[in-house]
Amino acid sequence: METSCLLTWIIFTPLIFGFIVALMPQSLESKFRKLALAQTLVNALLATYLYVHFDGSSYASQFVHLVSWLPDWGINYSVSIDGISLPLVMLTAYVAPVAILGTWPDIHHGGLKKEKFFVICLMALQTGMYGTFLSSDIFLFYFFWEVVLIPMFFMIGIWGGKDRIYATVKFFIYTMIGSLLMLVAIFWILKTGSEQFGAPTADMGKLSELAFSFDGTSLGSALMSPQSLLFFAFALAFVIKVPMVPFHTWLPDAHVQAPTVGSVFLAAVLLKMGTYGLMRIAIPFFPEAAHYFSSVFILLGVIGIIYGAFCALAQSDFKKLVAYSSVSHMGYIMVGLFAFQKVAIAGSLYQMINHGISAGGLFLIVGFLYERLHTRNLNEFGGLAKVVPLMAIGFMIMTLSSVALPGSNGFVGEFPILLGAFQTQPTFVLFAGTGVILGAIYALKAYQLVMLGPTTRSDLATLKDLNLKEVISLSILTIFVFGIGFFPKTFFWKSDASLENYANTLIQKVSSK
Amino acid sequence: MNLIDVFPLTALGASDFLNLGPVLILTFGAVLSILLGTHKDKGHYLAFGMSLASVLAAFLVNYAMVFSSDVSILGETLIFSPFTKTLSLMLLVFSGIAIFLTFGHDKKEGLLAEIYGLILFSVTGMILMVSTQHLLFMFIALEIMSLAIYVMVAMRRTSRFSAEAGLKYFILGGLASALFLYGSSLVFGATGSFQLESISYFLSSHPNPSYIYYVGLGLILTAMLFKVGAVPFHGWVPDVYQGASTNITGFMGAAVKFTAFMALTKISQHLVFVPQVSGLSWFQNYVWLIAAASMIYGNFVAISQNEIKRMLSFSTIAHTGYLLLGLCAMNVGETSSEDLIIYLFFYALSNLGAFAVISQFEEKNQKDLTLDQIAGIGLKHPLLGAFFTLFLLSMAGIPLTSGFIGKYGLFSSAVNSGEVPLVVIAVLTSVVSVYYYLRVIIYMFMKDSAGEEVTFQGLKGAGLAAFISAVATLQFGLFPRAIISFVKMISK
Repeated sequence: METSCLLTWIIFTPLIFGFIVALMPQSLESKFRKLALAQTLVNALLATYLYVHFDGSSYASQFVHLVSWLPDWGINYSVSIDGISLPLVMLTAYVAPVAILGTWPDIHHGGLKKEKFFVICLMALQTGMYGTFLSSDIFLFYFFWEVVLIPMFFMIGIWGGKDRIYATVKFFIYTMIGSLLMLVAIFWILKTGSEQFGAPTADMGKLSELAFSFDGTSLGSALMSPQSLLFFAFALAFVIKVPMVPFHTWLPDAHVQAPTVGSVFLAAVLLKMGTYGLMRIAIPFFPEAAHYFSSVFILLGVIGIIYGAFCALAQSDFKKLVAYSSVSHMGYIMVGLFAFQKVAIAGSLYQMINHGISAGGLFLIVGFLYERLHTRNLNEFGGLAKVVPLMAIGFMIMTLSSVALPGSNGFVGEFPILLGAFQTQPTFVLFAGTGVILGAIYALKAYQLVMLGPTTRSDLATLKDLNLKEVISLSILTIFVFGIGFFPKTFFWKSDASLENYANTLIQKVSSK
Repeated sequence: MNLIDVFPLTALGASDFLNLGPVLILTFGAVLSILLGTHKDKGHYLAFGMSLASVLAAFLVNYAMVFSSDVSILGETLIFSPFTKTLSLMLLVFSGIAIFLTFGHDKKEGLLAEIYGLILFSVTGMILMVSTQHLLFMFIALEIMSLAIYVMVAMRRTSRFSAEAGLKYFILGGLASALFLYGSSLVFGATGSFQLESISYFLSSHPNPSYIYYVGLGLILTAMLFKVGAVPFHGWVPDVYQGASTNITGFMGAAVKFTAFMALTKISQHLVFVPQVSGLSWFQNYVWLIAAASMIYGNFVAISQNEIKRMLSFSTIAHTGYLLLGLCAMNVGETSSEDLIIYLFFYALSNLGAFAVISQFEEKNQKDLTLDQIAGIGLKHPLLGAFFTLFLLSMAGIPLTSGFIGKYGLFSSAVNSGEVPLVVIAVLTSVVSVYYYLRVIIYMFMKDSAGEEVTFQGLKGAGLAAFISAVATLQFGLFPRAIISFVKMISK
């Protein structure tokens, strides 16, 4: 196993830039955003280097970097990457420059207040996200998981919309409830670990070997088994983040109030922390409990798909529509993860990336419109396609990706999920499939209300089309939309070995009982 | 029985004197700084310098002696071991920061220069308190500490809140001291000793002590729970926190709490957690209940406070609850108090820092800062805003800060000893606490000032105190390894 500091550089480059920005005088205000862009580009380069040198034929953890941190408690600073975290790291690395380019503040309108603090928050957020995906120590994972909250809390709270404080507190408290119960569960597995291994350890690879007793003879005994209790403590933290119905109510508020760049990060990356946690910890650590209760989660996932779609259909606020569409699309990932089927699990990982791209793109479009027309009410747009053709094209591409049109990336995610899950849970999938139709209805409705139809506004003549930065940011996403859509293998083959091993181990653990 | 039997005096050797050094330095320093404080123009500067120098000298002597062999003085009344000397070092750190915090603040509030001497006197009491195993001597140390604190609380002479707080604290504190003394005498009657270890030994060989023992123990516990501010003996906490001058509040929240809790831990270890005595299980449940009550009451009441010092006073009650949880954990499995010490140390530093920030915005004789008053200050004074945020996040136990490490250690050892239900209560009430800590941050950063502007006092001493605390909070939040290993080593 080779040792490398590359992952540490990826995690801490944003933070180093953050320190530089913090030390820069206020008079250089116009440079802060450029520095933020530079930082995301550096990270994207590092991530590309990582991708190129990642050995896709092996499922083992690579680029391991381990530094002793709290030896008394068996805790190390230990980061590593495998085929499951690789796509998520790449997603973070590429979405970040896109988000920053696409939300460049308009200097002529006075820019953004407290630019410095904003840029620092952006950078701290990235450090937290990379850290969460790359940690291979459960304490470190929890550490980064919580750290992500703080910059997001400030971003929504300071630069958000009218009800930003309500939204940001709701976001923070919701996540805290889940993560503190997860903390108790972590204590529990660490205790069991130190009893079984003879020395305290927080290494996820080792802890995943622990077997917790599970008694599936009756519902009551299953619920009270240690394994189930632990599973629920972890799963609660993760499904709140996903968010799964009925824990989703923080999401529309947070999305609507957050500034555009915050929404993009929230939709593209933060939500994936939840599904990543389920995939990395909750399900493989407690496979029998997860399998026993999988129907519940699939049911809630399906409810999420349909309920989210209907809610999206009913919205007149464009941003809320996209937010509810996230609830709906994340439901597929839940279905895929809990199907305990190889293809579905792979599909879930693909869907995490694809939803990141399409939701991120749609939030960018909402941001472009809001910046120009200062409204998000779908009924106040109309006929924009004639005035802003570039934006119309970009919007169309993102919409198609969101409705999972074959040839776009969305299809690559949703199809395997439905295909795979059909083999284990056909009834649920029947209902989940309707989500695809509903998804097309609300997404196309939004497109129609904004871009087509009669013009309802008088100020359209002054409306500017996308500028170069915005075009570049959407173009990058477009490349991924069609790239993944037509050549999924090219993008995802490095995850195959890990996914294969993950699914085999999991299914074997479950079926041996 | 003569007093000489209770406190057998023996000749002191050189190593005894060296170990007593910090106490002696502090006592003489206190007297000198009170004398110097009478200087007409430069009294405050001289007293400040003298007190700081004494704390520094005491710290250095103490530091040099940490790993010297154990010394017991006055027939095992005072014991200086690496463990007690580490606790003394921590207390000296708190008092050093408190002295910085006081400098500048004293002029603004019109406090007399005696305050520096009083801080030193109270630290002397605290050091004696953590170094003794003898109930009567504990009482004496408690009084040395408390009398100085009573005076300091009442020292804002032009504020009626301060007088009210001082009187309240004095009367209730006096009652608690009386209960402690009476309790000690009953315990002595039932077991024949004032030495905690002898009592513990007596109990393990006499599993059915006389009921007098239980009555005495109940009185002692009541007194100590009063001192740490646990529900239902918490009534004085909010008023004293608000009425006292902010620097003193910070000092109390850090050092007094630390000392009182260490004493409570010591007493519980020897008098309550004796597995052979089945009658004590009632007391163990009692501590459990008080822990739960303190967490729930403190956190829920803090939500509705609009005044920051008052809010922090309820939050300190909640923290007492978390610490009592750690104490309960010691009953079952863990026998060492290392997690408690680490938690208290981190909490005390954040607490001192928080009050240092508050003192930067308080006007003379102001009772408290309201949330409306601090609206927008985070953006106007980014550094202080960032510090205050750090301290509040640390109290809330969010990663990056020392408070998280403290809480992690405390809760994980509680889970390890099987106190899962209490940990779940602690965790859920922590969520509640996040709400009120966030509220302050929200006002600082996300609301615009509503007209009631506060003026920035520009106190250099308090600024330095806040800076030291902030560095410590961040440092121990990210790299706590050294201190954890150290505390683990000395508590073996």
